[in-house]
Amino acid sequence: MKIAANEIHNGFAFEEIPEIQQLPHHTTTHHVSTREVSIFTRKNSPDLSLTIFSNYSNADWADDDEFEDTLPANQIIENKDGTKTVISYRFNDENKKVKVTRRIKSTVVREHVNPQVAERRSWAKFGLEKGHAPGPSFDTTSVGENLIFRPSTNWKAQAAEVEKNGGEQGSMKDQLKDKKVKCRICSGEHFTARCPFKDTMAPVEEATGGADIGVDDAGAAGGLGAGSSSYVPPHMRKGGTAGGEKMGGRFEKDDLATLRVTNVSELAEEQELRDLFERFGRVTRVFLARDRETQRAKGFAFISYADRGDAARACEKMDGFGYRHLILRVEFAKRTT
Amino acid sequence: MRPILLSGHERSLTQIKFNKDGDLIFSTSKDKVVCAWWSANGERLGTYSGHQGAVWTVDVSPNTVLLATGSADNTVRLWNIKTGECVKTWDFPTAVKRVAFSPDGSKLLAVTEKRMGFLGTIVVFDIAYGDGNLNDLDVQAEEPSLRITCDESKATVAGWSYLGKYIIAGHEDGSVSQYDPKTGDQLENVQAHEFDHQINDLQFSPDRTYFITASKDKSAKLISASNLAILKTYVADTPLNSASITAQKDYVILGGGQAAMDVTTTSARQGKFEARFYHKVFEDEIGRVRGHFGPLNTIDVHPAGTAYASGGEDGYVRVHHFDKPYFDFMYEVEREQQRK
Repeated sequence: MKIAANEIHNGFAFEEIPEIQQLPHHTTTHHVSTREVSIFTRKNSPDLSLTIFSNYSNADWADDDEFEDTLPANQIIENKDGTKTVISYRFNDENKKVKVTRRIKSTVVREHVNPQVAERRSWAKFGLEKGHAPGPSFDTTSVGENLIFRPSTNWKAQAAEVEKNGGEQGSMKDQLKDKKVKCRICSGEHFTARCPFKDTMAPVEEATGGADIGVDDAGAAGGLGAGSSSYVPPHMRKGGTAGGEKMGGRFEKDDLATLRVTNVSELAEEQELRDLFERFGRVTRVFLARDRETQRAKGFAFISYADRGDAARACEKMDGFGYRHLILRVEFAKRTT
Repeated sequence: MRPILLSGHERSLTQIKFNKDGDLIFSTSKDKVVCAWWSANGERLGTYSGHQGAVWTVDVSPNTVLLATGSADNTVRLWNIKTGECVKTWDFPTAVKRVAFSPDGSKLLAVTEKRMGFLGTIVVFDIAYGDGNLNDLDVQAEEPSLRITCDESKATVAGWSYLGKYIIAGHEDGSVSQYDPKTGDQLENVQAHEFDHQINDLQFSPDRTYFITASKDKSAKLISASNLAILKTYVADTPLNSASITAQKDYVILGGGQAAMDVTTTSARQGKFEARFYHKVFEDEIGRVRGHFGPLNTIDVHPAGTAYASGGEDGYVRVHHFDKPYFDFMYEVEREQQRK
């Protein structure tokens, strides 16, 4: 064994997809001492970082010709926080100059590998790749969507459960499973439209509403209340309240099983939190607030459970739990309205 | 885990191999090109071009100096891995379906197809590694040192057991046989899988004392190399194209899916294009990994057991580096064992 120090090349020239950082670098077989962290952060929002210099953007059009075919030299600025800002220029497909600003943080990783492996790292590319720049090339390598793979003895049951709860259709069906249908006319267990007494016992207002449509067509189309001609806001309309309530109810239900965790360490990871909280029941969502620039945790997180009972238990047990040198504070999330 | 997608091939994958250190992946496909990739980040190191037909198989020498490929253009080629040059070509009367280096790298076996009046054979070549500085790699034996003819049922896959003591071959009729690599005599033959269900893959455990076979009969079997005793059976619900034994954790990974010709008539979900993970000892299925659009043709596991790569009929290679839940999973009995 010998020590090979490798500066991992970060400038993949992947300005279009900064997610390439996710490539797991050198998860080596032999004693990895540190892990690779390479962070690409864009200085501006995606559309701002590409500045297109078209011809008319030059102050003096007379300079155009000599300015046309030369690109300004790349600029590298060292930032205070250890990152580098690389400004490069290139021509795009329409032959316009494009300025690309990238902020790159590079980390040197030392790892112990076999001498042969270390020697292989220096090999030049050959064949179809001959002469290509180091780093994965855009057209042959990409990163797929994140897969969650957790081996388990009863994975089939779990997969079926996810399938069942995953779709909106399924969850709504579940919610309404034990709801009784009640007829508005005779209070029987069927839909109002299917009521056998619809013709004889229909409520007066509904009957008039139906008759009105013929007469006061414009009013009905305008979404006005059926009874009077003045405007009735949706939530005051007949039957409107029920819909509104149901809508709110769904969100409320979601909120009810969500915990707010505060005093979380800066170094926390979503996976760790998931592992911690999954002991109490199925966790549907873990949200760890992170700083946009540094990718460090901001100190709070939200954990959503599938079941409120589990959430209550987790809240009780995890409040005051010591995690990464800090004591967690866990409480139910309040509604954000 | 986030898979890395390698899209360097234009046609369906035929075989994938990690080298012994696990830092390189070699992939072959029906598009005549062999690719070498860095397993850590999916960067392509290079390509080996020269074959005139679909490349069926690839193997890498234990010291990662030579690469052997077998192709439908009736040749086996040896390549210098570092430079991508072809250093040796052997011609055969029929296509070559499988190549494998012996554990010490001194021999190479090749399985040839039964076609046009020629019987299927397993041939063995002695391999030389030049002067140690990648020179004279083209000095290789012209003629095979051994030729085994399969009269009854052609061999589809073959490999070397521990210490190169036996050659193990899987046959078209679902049987597995054991040959003596010195004399070429058949020592044993076991009908491991259902009759007339071809064995599509045969991969050894890290110490090569047992191996796993994947068959068209929708099952994979763990078989002892010394006496061909069937140790375990893993039952799937789809024909299997590939099976691999993972190091570090006691799992096996099976890959398969509907035959390529039936794919267009079914949806992706019904096609069962998933890598299936089974526990090696308990024979239970413990999870699946989705991703491919077509059947999985080949699977290989990183020698250290930290990653696996699968190649599909869809032309993609997907490299998966395992994350924590994979390593954490244990049966209750295993936990107890560990506590003691």
